[in-house]
Amino acid sequence: MSERIVVVGFGPVAARLVEGLLPAVRRGSVSLMVLGQEAEAAYNRVMVAEFGVGRSTAEALAMADAAELIAEGVDVRLGVTVKRVDRARQRVVLSDGTAEGYERLVFATGARPVIPNLTGINPDPAHPVLPAGVTALRDLNDAGMLLRAVTARQRVVVLGGGVLGLETALAAAEEGAQTTVVHSGPHPMGRNIDRGGGAVLNAALRSAGVSVVSNAVSTAVEHNGPDGIFSALVLDDGSRVEGDLLLLSCGVRPRIELAEGCGLPVAAGILVDHRLRTHHEPHMFAIGDCAEVRCASSGCPDCKGATAPSGLVGPGWRQAEWLAGYLEALAEDGQEAADSLPELAKEQPGVVVLKARGINLAVAGDNSAEPWDDMLCPSPDGLPHREVAQWADPGHGRYVKMTTRGGVLQGLVSVGMPRTAAELVVLFERGSELPADRSLLLRLDGTDQPAGANNDPARTVCRCAGVSGAAIEESVASGCASVPEVSKATRAGTGCGGCHDDIKAIIEKHFQGAVAA
Amino acid sequence: MPSGTATHCPYCALQCAMTLSPAAVPGAGFPAGDIPTPASPAVPATPLLEVAGREFPTNRGGLCRKGWTSAALLGHAGRVTEPLLKGSDGVHQPIGWDQALMLVAAAVKDSWARHGHDSVGVFGSGGLTNEKAYQLGKFARLALRTSRIDYNGRFCMSSAAAAGNRAFGVDRGLPFPVEDLDSASVILLLGSNVAETMPPFVQHLQGARDAGGLIVVDPRRSATAAFTGNGGGIHLQPLPGTDLALILGISHVVVHEGLADAAFLEERTKGHKAVLRSLTAFWPERVQSITGVPATLIRETARRLARSARLAKDEGQGGCYILSGRGVEQHVDGTDTATAAINLSLLLGLPGSARSGYGTLTGQGNGQGGREHGQKADQLPGYRKITDPAARAHMAKVWGVDESLIPGAGLPAVEFLKSLGQPDGVRCLFVHGANVAVSAPDAGAVIAGLRSLDFLVVCDFFMSETAAEADLVLPVAQWAEEEGTMTNLEGRVIRRRRALTPPPGVRTELWLMSRLAELLDAPSTFSDDPRTVFEELRLASAGGLADYSGIDYDMLDAGEAAYWPYPSGSKGTPRLFADGFAHADRRAAMVAVTPSRRAQRSFPGDSLALATGRLLEHYQSGAQTRRVAELSASQPEARLQLHPETAARRGIVDGGLVTVSNERGEVQVRAEVNTAIRPDTVFLPFHFPGAGSANRLTEAATDPISGMPEFKTSRVLVKAVRAEPALAAAAVSSHRKEES
Repeated sequence: MSERIVVVGFGPVAARLVEGLLPAVRRGSVSLMVLGQEAEAAYNRVMVAEFGVGRSTAEALAMADAAELIAEGVDVRLGVTVKRVDRARQRVVLSDGTAEGYERLVFATGARPVIPNLTGINPDPAHPVLPAGVTALRDLNDAGMLLRAVTARQRVVVLGGGVLGLETALAAAEEGAQTTVVHSGPHPMGRNIDRGGGAVLNAALRSAGVSVVSNAVSTAVEHNGPDGIFSALVLDDGSRVEGDLLLLSCGVRPRIELAEGCGLPVAAGILVDHRLRTHHEPHMFAIGDCAEVRCASSGCPDCKGATAPSGLVGPGWRQAEWLAGYLEALAEDGQEAADSLPELAKEQPGVVVLKARGINLAVAGDNSAEPWDDMLCPSPDGLPHREVAQWADPGHGRYVKMTTRGGVLQGLVSVGMPRTAAELVVLFERGSELPADRSLLLRLDGTDQPAGANNDPARTVCRCAGVSGAAIEESVASGCASVPEVSKATRAGTGCGGCHDDIKAIIEKHFQGAVAA
Repeated sequence: MPSGTATHCPYCALQCAMTLSPAAVPGAGFPAGDIPTPASPAVPATPLLEVAGREFPTNRGGLCRKGWTSAALLGHAGRVTEPLLKGSDGVHQPIGWDQALMLVAAAVKDSWARHGHDSVGVFGSGGLTNEKAYQLGKFARLALRTSRIDYNGRFCMSSAAAAGNRAFGVDRGLPFPVEDLDSASVILLLGSNVAETMPPFVQHLQGARDAGGLIVVDPRRSATAAFTGNGGGIHLQPLPGTDLALILGISHVVVHEGLADAAFLEERTKGHKAVLRSLTAFWPERVQSITGVPATLIRETARRLARSARLAKDEGQGGCYILSGRGVEQHVDGTDTATAAINLSLLLGLPGSARSGYGTLTGQGNGQGGREHGQKADQLPGYRKITDPAARAHMAKVWGVDESLIPGAGLPAVEFLKSLGQPDGVRCLFVHGANVAVSAPDAGAVIAGLRSLDFLVVCDFFMSETAAEADLVLPVAQWAEEEGTMTNLEGRVIRRRRALTPPPGVRTELWLMSRLAELLDAPSTFSDDPRTVFEELRLASAGGLADYSGIDYDMLDAGEAAYWPYPSGSKGTPRLFADGFAHADRRAAMVAVTPSRRAQRSFPGDSLALATGRLLEHYQSGAQTRRVAELSASQPEARLQLHPETAARRGIVDGGLVTVSNERGEVQVRAEVNTAIRPDTVFLPFHFPGAGSANRLTEAATDPISGMPEFKTSRVLVKAVRAEPALAAAAVSSHRKEES
């Protein structure tokens, strides 16, 4: 008896779910259907910008192969949309007019770009008709537009100072496009980064060849190019930012219409509990960008302060892996066994690591506090004291801020210090305690090595044979005048040979001394 | 022609060539010792032989400290020179050989009668010659009639072997001669500390170091990692247990930056499309968050590898090699990690190309030959599968027995050791050349298992920690007292030669097996002559993957460089894969792998990740090297390496005593405080017994494919035996001070 599961959407998160369910499909306990709106099977959306600047290929972005899945027994339908979900009859109605029944339904519908309300752009968020030369860079088609602009070394205007906008701008600039980032607030990534980090980031962007227009409020899109193509972004002060391509990077919004349309409770995303089940419909699930984990229990501590979907792919993948295990258990071992599995673990706050070659930046958590803010205030609710440590060297493009409670990071900013950034991110994700001497973390990018040249005669010169400098000096003093002679007398230099230069130096020093005397 | 005996070092798989000559001046030379326990005063003794390095492609005349002092053990006062039987008082007393053999035969027959044939087990070693390893497999199956045989190589090469077999269809550690590395411009060393484990090998890294292309992956700033300083290359320091993710990140960059060798993938591999898809999820910044290795270094590594691979192929310059070691293999996902490394090498088109390649660095002296000829639970000679009907028929014919007499597959080492003394487990055990009381994971449980046996026979030349548990210790010949062959890390078969007559009460293991087979009425023949056994091994291996049929002693004695497969009538195979891989379709099989959660787990609170490993001065369980005065004086005891921050927080000073503990056991050692290790990780060498035995802390959790234990990420707590309060107070952060 196989259980019929239908997955709506075939993005990277759905791909992970399908992969996780393959063993059950092979065993025949699950009959799986995947419905993808795009003509391509799942690809890694995170890397669309890389493709858009010509650094990667569509093939390399692929995360699933429809033909292989079909050969495994998965019913893969590409280029179809679900018109509605008929909860009463447990079936989905497709754009081609057919209907498919399900026993369990998974929404993996993802998110769509936010289209800002600008004169010259159709404001209907569900069906935007973007003018020529304007794109939101969500799928491979959008990426194709960017690729043409970059290849022709055109001017690219990026509206939005979030992480995706910056990544695209930096990549396009590095690949030869003239790039301008237009954003609100004093510096890009205003939601994540503090003032000091933002200032250093601004400078770094400029030196990477990206123009930055800060504190901007855009009002209109002008299309006076050939054939009415995009020509400039107009700001509220009347100024114009000219370009050949406008990239809208103003965030994403969960795609919830299908769920909402069939009466499921939604907020920013489709509301699901800690088993990713929609409220009141335990055989329907949602994962990834469209899902908002917030259970129906008002007293749940995990859901206190829960936020809308993060838009990061990591949490979606963890949800997909968890749900694959749960659905498999449901199909093969029954409800009770499945419910005995541990619930999905609470997500930690996301970490942003800028995917860029010229700029190293990592940000996570709350970075609003300054070093002296909490010195005199008592901690609320008996929490350990909040501490902030900071290093700023704007002249060299370096900045670090570590905000901790009880030695554990609550927030971090690192610009221009790759090894420090890597270490801090690991410490943040693992919830590990920082070294009390925070400056240890700042020296990781330094060139200083553990104790360099050492003239201590007791020091081992030849590690392989365990011969000290003193023993070699003694052999030289008693007549050895070449490396082979020293080797014969002491065995120094008879292993890997790496110390031959050191032995030579000892010999030379000895004979120089002899000449001088 | 120099006088003396041309042979090879008794220790690691580099098998450095050496010449043994009678000690010219009695009492001269370097002190040899007879100190059975560390830290007791060294008593210089007269070595019976003098050791000199000998010119050979692998070591070029070089030897490390272990090799130079190897002769010290030949005349060692602590040597076992008569069979020793443990009395009811627990003390071993000498007995004669006739009585010893009768006792063993009786114990075997008694175990058979009471618990069945599989209640007798054999634990072998990657240190045994090919002849002994081959005959031991035959002895277990035909004389002891048991399926229960496995060996300590399971703790060493099993993950790399499983990955190599899966990808290439064959497992030869280095599928090329080691000198090929000399011309490389980039060498990626994954979890291998050759500067400590096989120092003369470091000569072959010089070309890459000169080109700035030595890339070392190691969580510690090991002696080998330090070679990347001063422009020698790059040191990548992933968090313990995250090697697999790091390799996937490097591979991702190779694919996404268009650096992969597309023609090679298309023509010479299968499964690459699934691998490419699986890599999509491992972009450098994500991998940075998992491993702690900056994305910039991940990209740089990928580009350097690709550039050197391309130059080697197109211009015939330099070369690109990827070499893996125990650091990445001794994990619960060790096979997958080795597979990821192989996949990376295949993406770059390295295996089978003229100036580039992939290899794994075999550890034990005969770790290569020892894993080919039937010591493994699931294996018959010639690297055949014991479950393959054709292989069974072939061996039955060579041995002249009915096929039904050959048992089926047994248990891999960790499961094997867990079964000791259990109702359906092994009750009567033979140990040859292994010291499981020190070298096996969860050593405390292994020792308890040894004590629960009905009968334990240990063949050794010293009273090792395992021998000390034995009912009967049988003294066997040392390396310089026996003839035979070894297969070094390149798959080259070399001769071990006898320079000395063993002491009167000592026998060879071949002799022992031959006599016992007779007493147990075994079918087939069991010779005590190495050359005769090798001739049989040739026939047994003929047609197998590891085919030795074209090799003989005369040819080796004439100096021929013989690399297997060497079918009769051929000239051997110095370089594998030039024309194809060893699968039926001649293609390399690529298998998509992903990191397991367990290997990457982090340890919250005060606990730390313990990695175990090696020191230059010691070999394996230290049963030999701890008895060499010079080595023991230099490294008398285990020391726990930890970061100054980690030490200060716990009030630990350099040289101070610390306890390291977890749910399996506790050890007490001195601290070695330095910055060459991460603050969340500690390192302990595993060469020492008792209170310093690292393997009391390791877990008997294993890789699902290879049976390799997890040696590199055990969770431990570290405490000062006597804390320095001032130090600890200065180290804790201010919030803690306020609380106190």
